[in-house]
Amino acid sequence: MTRSLPVWWRRRIPRYRLIGARCKECGKIHYPPRTSCPYCGSNSLEEVQLPRRGILESYSVIYSVPGDNRLNAPIIVGLVNINGVRIVAELTDVLPGELSTGLEVEAVVRKISETSDTGIITYGVKFRPVLGAGSGAGQDTGEA
Amino acid sequence: MNDSMVKVYITGTGAVKIARHYPLGVRDLAFQAGKQALAESGSDNVDFVIVASSLSYLQAPQLDLASYIASSLGLHGVRALSVEAGESSGLAALETAVSLIKSQEASRVLLIGVDKMTEHPSGPTYVMLQALYDTESDAYYNIGHAGIAALLMRLYMEKYEVDRLTLAYWPAMMHMHAKNNPHAMLPFAVAPEKVMTAMPIAEPITLLDAYPLGDGAAAIVLENGDELEGRPLAEIESVISATGMPSPALREDPLDLESLRTALGRLGGLEKIDVIELHDSFSIYGLLELETLGLAEKGESAKLVAEGYFSAEGEGPLVNPSGGLKARGHPIGATDVYKLVEVSRILAGTWQGVKRGDEETGMIVSINAAGSSSRIALLRKVKG
Ligand SMILES: [Zn+2]
Repeated sequence: MTRSLPVWWRRRIPRYRLIGARCKECGKIHYPPRTSCPYCGSNSLEEVQLPRRGILESYSVIYSVPGDNRLNAPIIVGLVNINGVRIVAELTDVLPGELSTGLEVEAVVRKISETSDTGIITYGVKFRPVLGAGSGAGQDTGEA
Repeated sequence: MNDSMVKVYITGTGAVKIARHYPLGVRDLAFQAGKQALAESGSDNVDFVIVASSLSYLQAPQLDLASYIASSLGLHGVRALSVEAGESSGLAALETAVSLIKSQEASRVLLIGVDKMTEHPSGPTYVMLQALYDTESDAYYNIGHAGIAALLMRLYMEKYEVDRLTLAYWPAMMHMHAKNNPHAMLPFAVAPEKVMTAMPIAEPITLLDAYPLGDGAAAIVLENGDELEGRPLAEIESVISATGMPSPALREDPLDLESLRTALGRLGGLEKIDVIELHDSFSIYGLLELETLGLAEKGESAKLVAEGYFSAEGEGPLVNPSGGLKARGHPIGATDVYKLVEVSRILAGTWQGVKRGDEETGMIVSINAAGSSSRIALLRKVKG
């Protein structure tokens, strides 16, 4: 839903690469990185590459899709848990009937939105069902 | 908490029927509600106008809104202040007004909640409504107005093994109550089965689970009890708030409304409450609020609602006699002020809609989004 180029640009790297933030005070990890730790308030944060695989904890098939992205309806949104770090993100490469909680999903980069009045196209991480060993275009980094 | 001995009363109320008011703009709606409230209070004399509004800043941008509204009401030279806190704007404005009166900076305040949701087609409006949620995380994606609530609803259904039909009794009860609310947008009955089978907007949420897009304005006059010009309808006993995690994904339990829990803790416990207006933009939030407030065990609230426990004939407190956000309507920044109008009329005995007739204490709850902030107001009947 970004209508401003600078707003999107300054946050783009974590969104492409699934880079989270680890708090040096309390040790907790969150994604996407914030100005300060949402758990303890410390602004002493370091970047951390999140593993690309997680578990789908909840999902919704959205038909009331906002604005210019209506053409892509329905959009599927999920709550993904990666080793205890929860992320709200869109799901891709999956049909509504194939969804269930507990599904193993992996991160890929896809187009998120397109805004006709500004021409801005935004990209970022989406999740798709894990395709199995040897497929998935090498998305599994094996990091823990 | 403010320890001031000053008591704050509501002495006037006004509300415009929530609808798609194409001919009326923000100032027209605010004028109608404001004039009604001033008339009931018996005097046009106020020293502060506080305006709660939220979506209007994206729908029909007007900055320094309160000053322009004060001027359109003919209140030239008055002090004016705009308050924005998303869906909790109305109670945030009440917090401000009460503290101004308690600190004796003001003695009569006109508080107006007003919002427009129909200046654009629904598509762009859904984009604007996403801004209630965290635009730096969840709302970067196309979550729409219902996506996060849908994620939480599915979590709730699976965690507590509550079926879809049981969850459909909340909207059914709201529609039943709204039938008698003179300013409700959707004053008609809907069967639970219809809710369940209606068009999905964000599965498992259907069209009949969601609040409608409507325009509205409501207003109250607040006065210092020592300098009353009007006859009080209700006393504001307290209003309190707390902020919470920017996204439910950051909570240890995403279903934990921790901002509401924190606000409740600040109140220092609840006495018996007779009537409650909860924030049910989506049914799941209303249910989670009941459980957070301790009015139902975790996972049990939907069943209690289905059994009629919170209806006019039920044993529990009367919940959302207005019809709630679901059926009265939810013009974002104005909604809490509608609740204040409704609960104070119930306590004053002038309410035309659903009631039991012996209500002495009222509570109003609002949250923004999935709980980025929460607020609670307690109202009391004025005796004698
Ligand atoms: Zn920390």
